Amino acid sequence: MENNKKEYMLCGVLAIIVIIMSILSPDRFLSLYNLQTMAFQLPEFGIIALGMMIVILTGGINLSITSGSALAGIMAAFILSGRVMVGASIGMSIALAIGVILVTSVLLGLLNGFVVAYIGVTPILVTLGSKTLYEGISMWLTKGGAISNFPEAYYWFGNESIIGIPVPMIIFIIIALITYVLLEKTPWGTRVYMVGSNPTAAVFSGINIKRVLMQVYVYSALMAGLAGVIMLSRYNSAKVDLGSSYLLQSVAAVVLGGTNIAGGSGKVFGTVIAVAILQVISSGLNILGVNRFIIDMITGAILIAVLTLNIISNRRESRRKSDETVLVAENRG
Amino acid sequence: MKKSLRVILLAALVCSLFFVTAQAKEYTILVMPKLVGIPYFNASETGALQAGKDLGVNVIYAGPTQADAAAQVKMIEDYISRGVDAIAVAPNDPAALTPVLRRAKQRGILVMDWDTPADKSVVELSVHQIDDKVYGEHNWDLLVEAMGTDEGEYAIITGGLAAANLNTWIDHGLAYAKEKYPNLKLVTERIPSDEKQQEAYRKTLDLLRAYPNLKGIIGISTPAPIGAAQAVEERGLQDKVAVVGTALPNDSAPYLKSGALKVSTLWDPAKLGYLTVALAVKRLNGEEVYDGMEISNVGVIDVWDDGITVIMGPPTDFTADNVGQFDF
Repeated sequence: MENNKKEYMLCGVLAIIVIIMSILSPDRFLSLYNLQTMAFQLPEFGIIALGMMIVILTGGINLSITSGSALAGIMAAFILSGRVMVGASIGMSIALAIGVILVTSVLLGLLNGFVVAYIGVTPILVTLGSKTLYEGISMWLTKGGAISNFPEAYYWFGNESIIGIPVPMIIFIIIALITYVLLEKTPWGTRVYMVGSNPTAAVFSGINIKRVLMQVYVYSALMAGLAGVIMLSRYNSAKVDLGSSYLLQSVAAVVLGGTNIAGGSGKVFGTVIAVAILQVISSGLNILGVNRFIIDMITGAILIAVLTLNIISNRRESRRKSDETVLVAENRG
Repeated sequence: MKKSLRVILLAALVCSLFFVTAQAKEYTILVMPKLVGIPYFNASETGALQAGKDLGVNVIYAGPTQADAAAQVKMIEDYISRGVDAIAVAPNDPAALTPVLRRAKQRGILVMDWDTPADKSVVELSVHQIDDKVYGEHNWDLLVEAMGTDEGEYAIITGGLAAANLNTWIDHGLAYAKEKYPNLKLVTERIPSDEKQQEAYRKTLDLLRAYPNLKGIIGISTPAPIGAAQAVEERGLQDKVAVVGTALPNDSAPYLKSGALKVSTLWDPAKLGYLTVALAVKRLNGEEVYDGMEISNVGVIDVWDDGITVIMGPPTDFTADNVGQFDF
């Protein structure tokens, strides 16, 4: 199928970048330590990218994804730092904290989903509003500071490894697999693609768009919450702007991975490779000592380039298809 | 189509090659500020790099573009991959950096903090520019002197709420004021400006509107007093509201002349950068760092009994009269 071409190209790009970085920084880029470090850094970004992808597939966007993650993290942080429920055993605190993150995320996702699906406000406006709302609540709870000092046992999620593979990476692989199966192998996933591809046709096909959209936004928020679990552990603190830089970068990753920004098509594999590409670029350039500003510039340039190329390629595609249709019609004629 | 993408990416990477830093000669020391791009940390960069030249070590001065602890963690992780002999960091949030600094320590890297403390358990040296208690109290003395009275309403604008150095100075100052200036009234909790002058400016405008009887503002963190003075000057309240705080003389000069800023107090950040690198080199060479030691181009330092905390020296006050003598 033609779609696989995009993914192969992305793998090719990833391979080339890895080779370039390895040549530029021999034994430092390909060292076990660096591979592990990248495997620690990638998951929180990757999970958020997946959460962003599923919303973009329906033709929407979730600008509140990182703010929701931060807010859920802050609520859990209160428990983990002992400010609430002082006296509970450490295991209980951790379990409770994770539960709080997940429940909070679902609630935040329900809010987005409700306004998008049942009230019908366009997603970019809804999630812009909820982003501000979540940030406001976070600021009110933290006064802008950070909540930190969690029990050492919590370090495990973000800093330890199982048989050499970092725990966050294992979590990410599991999530990516689940998302892949859900989206590309189940009827529900097909419905998601259909809603994004052509909402009117979807309605007439008997799909309950409202329910699908609601579920999609909740899934997106859940992804944000899971990323929050990892970030809380890696940074040993929760803050209103934790992870905020991932918002636009996740859009970049989703688009780079071949997902159509207008919805309807895109593969999980593509997003995962795109996340890897962005990670490798960031780590590789950091190791080379390239100025942080330049790295930001390069990431921005890549996003613009990819969007432009995608639009041009889409136009060529539809022109080619309509030419084919004309040819077929003429032959039938 | 995607082939062009490949070409573009390759081109971007090739361009970035031009920015590759030199390979390590002797020791490689990473000096990381809270953020890059503000005058204070630009000045400390000058000092740190100068020390690198004088002492023959490779100094990398790098930091995030915003005062963000998570970004610091990621950068440090990548520099550990790169391979450095020492890391001296000014943490935006000490707790957030503890896991990664611990990992650095495990890998045999010399870990230090400078400008603001990290968790004591992970650092070998903690380089302070001044004695925190003395400095905190000094700022409050300056405020009362500038206000012309020790009664009245005042507010505090700080940098990042999690920055340990700023909080320590403020806490010392508040404790001191409780005893010495009981009639000073703090109108609201310390207000963050995240090391952004524009933010301090905005927050001060809000303050002036909300508290019309405000008599004084202390700006802690170098952009804060400048932003506050900017707001006071714009509203023409130089004679009603006294602004003091921690700021560089070059930034303070215009506002000192106009009277919007009454006095600012600081140390030489270039010296601090220099001292940090110099101490790192001493430790990497296995030398001891002791109380009363003299460091060339810096002066005599104090080292506390814990063997970790180093104090560079006393602060300098900048007023409209003397600010011309300084250039940083």
